[in-house]
Amino acid sequence: MSSSAIIAAHSSSWAAALVRISPYTFSAIGIAVSIGVSVLGAAWGIYITGSSLIGAAIKAPRITSKNLISVIFCEAVAIYGVIVAIILQTKLESVPKASIYEPESLRAGYAIFASGLIVGFANLVCGLCVGIIGSSCALSDAQNSSLFVKILVIEIFGSALGLFGVIVGIIMSAQATWPSKF
Amino acid sequence: MAPFSGDETAPFFGFLGAAAALVFSCMGAAYGTAKSGVGVASMGVMRPELVMKSIVPVVMAGVLGIYGLIIAVIISTGINPKAKSYYLFDGYAHLSSGLACGLAGLSAGMAIGIVGDAGVRANAQQPKLFVGMILILIFAEALALYGLIVVSILSYLNKYFEASIIILNAQSPLNNISLQSINSRAIADLLSTIAISSTK
Repeated sequence: MSSSAIIAAHSSSWAAALVRISPYTFSAIGIAVSIGVSVLGAAWGIYITGSSLIGAAIKAPRITSKNLISVIFCEAVAIYGVIVAIILQTKLESVPKASIYEPESLRAGYAIFASGLIVGFANLVCGLCVGIIGSSCALSDAQNSSLFVKILVIEIFGSALGLFGVIVGIIMSAQATWPSKF
Repeated sequence: MAPFSGDETAPFFGFLGAAAALVFSCMGAAYGTAKSGVGVASMGVMRPELVMKSIVPVVMAGVLGIYGLIIAVIISTGINPKAKSYYLFDGYAHLSSGLACGLAGLSAGMAIGIVGDAGVRANAQQPKLFVGMILILIFAEALALYGLIVVSILSYLNKYFEASIIILNAQSPLNNISLQSINSRAIADLLSTIAISSTK
């Protein structure tokens, strides 16, 4: 016991603060960020695309139905956030009060937190990127209809970023194993 | 509350490192894709036949996202305290790796985006500029590779750290102090002496 007391005096002050925060705090914040910030990115992308699309369609109404796909790409980003938030929610388990601050449950809380951060912010930048490209796609399609498919290729590169976030988030959520309650 | 050794919170920094690697690389990739994509779309109105050739900056920006994905997966699968002890040193090393890769990718993505935007617009007016644009884009992509170099050096240092733990335990058999409760600062001093002695 004395060796642990000595070690506790030497260990990092970050650790001394972090070990007193419940892992459920981190898990809850992670789940909230994964859905909230993803939806923020999707909304940002949709309004950038949608406003350009509507403005460009004044003189070229033919572009509206084709360019709705840009809006759908942005919406997919929000769906990714919902899916990962539900997956992270299923990873939450209740542990007995004595083992809330065990190393294993602390690690599970940190895993869910980081997973939620990853998915949320990757989807945020993905939604922004797809929105900006979608608006350029609509504007250039209004002037020259052969450009639609070519700019769509760039948009697909952009939407891959949200998928990267989902992949890493799900891989990391597999680390969220809580101590077993006996 | 059970007495803790501080290494229980090491996964916090490790997972945050993986998060930083992916999120900042994706920010750079998104900026590069969006900025050069707008340039391509604007340029394509006048010269539609050049659009497919001008997608090169977009592809190079997308590669930055893949760098971040690889580093994030490597870091997050390397955090397994049940299989292998995970000390505060490992946690900080992973945090530093993730930040190095991510922020380097962010800056490379910003460079690729701005250069790609200017490059494709200029290429539409002067076709001889294509090779020049590619050369500048390659220099910008190299910035992300510098981050990956630092990541690999940091993971190499990790091997030194494990070796020093084994040496320390062999030199003085520690019966009542477990491996997990060894002071991290003493290990850092030990591994620096090992590193210096190995270069002799």
